[in-house]
Amino acid sequence: MVRAGVVGTHLPTSGLDIFGDLRKMNKRQLYYQVLNFAMIVSSALMIWKGLIVLTGSESPIVVVLSGSMEPAFHRGDLLFLTNFREDPIRAGEIVVFKVEGRDIPIVHRVIKVHEKDNGDIKFLTKGDNNEVDDRGLYKEGQNWLEKKDVVGRARGFLPYVGMVTIIMNDYPKFKYALLAIMGAYVLLKRES
Amino acid sequence: MAAAGQGGRSGGGGGSSGAGGGSSCGTGSGRSGLLDKWKIDDKPVKIDKWDGSAVKNSLDDSAKKVLLEKYKYVENFGLIDGRLTICTISCFFAIVALIWDYMHPFPESKPVLALCVISYFVMMGILTIYTSYKEKSIFLVAHRKDPTGMDPDDIWQLSSSLKRFDDKYTLKLTFISGRTKQQREAEFTRSIAKFFDHSGTLVMDAYEPEISRLHDSLATERKIK
Repeated sequence: MVRAGVVGTHLPTSGLDIFGDLRKMNKRQLYYQVLNFAMIVSSALMIWKGLIVLTGSESPIVVVLSGSMEPAFHRGDLLFLTNFREDPIRAGEIVVFKVEGRDIPIVHRVIKVHEKDNGDIKFLTKGDNNEVDDRGLYKEGQNWLEKKDVVGRARGFLPYVGMVTIIMNDYPKFKYALLAIMGAYVLLKRES
Repeated sequence: MAAAGQGGRSGGGGGSSGAGGGSSCGTGSGRSGLLDKWKIDDKPVKIDKWDGSAVKNSLDDSAKKVLLEKYKYVENFGLIDGRLTICTISCFFAIVALIWDYMHPFPESKPVLALCVISYFVMMGILTIYTSYKEKSIFLVAHRKDPTGMDPDDIWQLSSSLKRFDDKYTLKLTFISGRTKQQREAEFTRSIAKFFDHSGTLVMDAYEPEISRLHDSLATERKIK
């Protein structure tokens, strides 16, 4: 029919019409599609921030990147951290810390602790699988770590799950493609 | 070609498509012409017949169309606007948390963060209660304005359900009289196979009479009273 023909010449007449759902929507429904997407992002964000508040650590879930803590932790393990100020740091505990000037946190074990009466501490760390302590990793001239460098203390772990994060970091295009596809799916598909 | 197409549109179809075409008729300025090609309101609805949610959406939309265009009721967006506001407020809390944490890094932002997170989840709870109890499965609230202008409006509500992997579609029409505040409802349950042809096109000739029958059964009861 003529009517269908005029409209059809500009749009795919068969096959995939990914905007099909959107075209049938009024303003409110379009706004709701955007809101739906925003709410999914917000929920993820709020859960993450909620975890930060609950654990007191700025990064409550971290992935082990190297094999320096084998056989306790392997590359790709997921670690759950807490950072409560009242908990004392003792030798033998596994802490995640950040060296000044570097933004990748390191997961190693505390081997020496010096504590003052008022609670200030200085501690030294070493990876279980390393030959020497971490003084080579610290800042130039720094021999000890302090409480402010601690991101958190390992409380629990999940094996292998962190491999996904490592893969996504090694192949960022894969990560962006995955996020783009998921985002497009939420935005373009009409929710019932 | 374009003129013939527009002539065909205003000629064929019901009065509704004429009204729709009228807005973009005439010389058809570039922008409204583009918008017109984008919207597919007047085309027969064709969906994937195996996709349950698409089937339900198209049946709901067509029922809406019948009530709004054939009986000329006015849609009331109050229920939908309520849901949109709740969602917007939730996102607002999330954005506040994001910006505050960026400007005052943790741990100074801890109290504000805690407040925003708790507020967000409270809003989520409110949203769930709202959609479950207030909105239920209602997808249309329409008003019939009293022609004399004296009595308050009569309200018509449409709600529907279609279970997953099931073919029985239930449509419920509720009538709330403006004057007496009485509520009457009527519903029908039909297999979706009655309304769609084998290619997935919704056959309005089979669907529209059902809606009209539902509507008239509620409207006539009123007259008898």
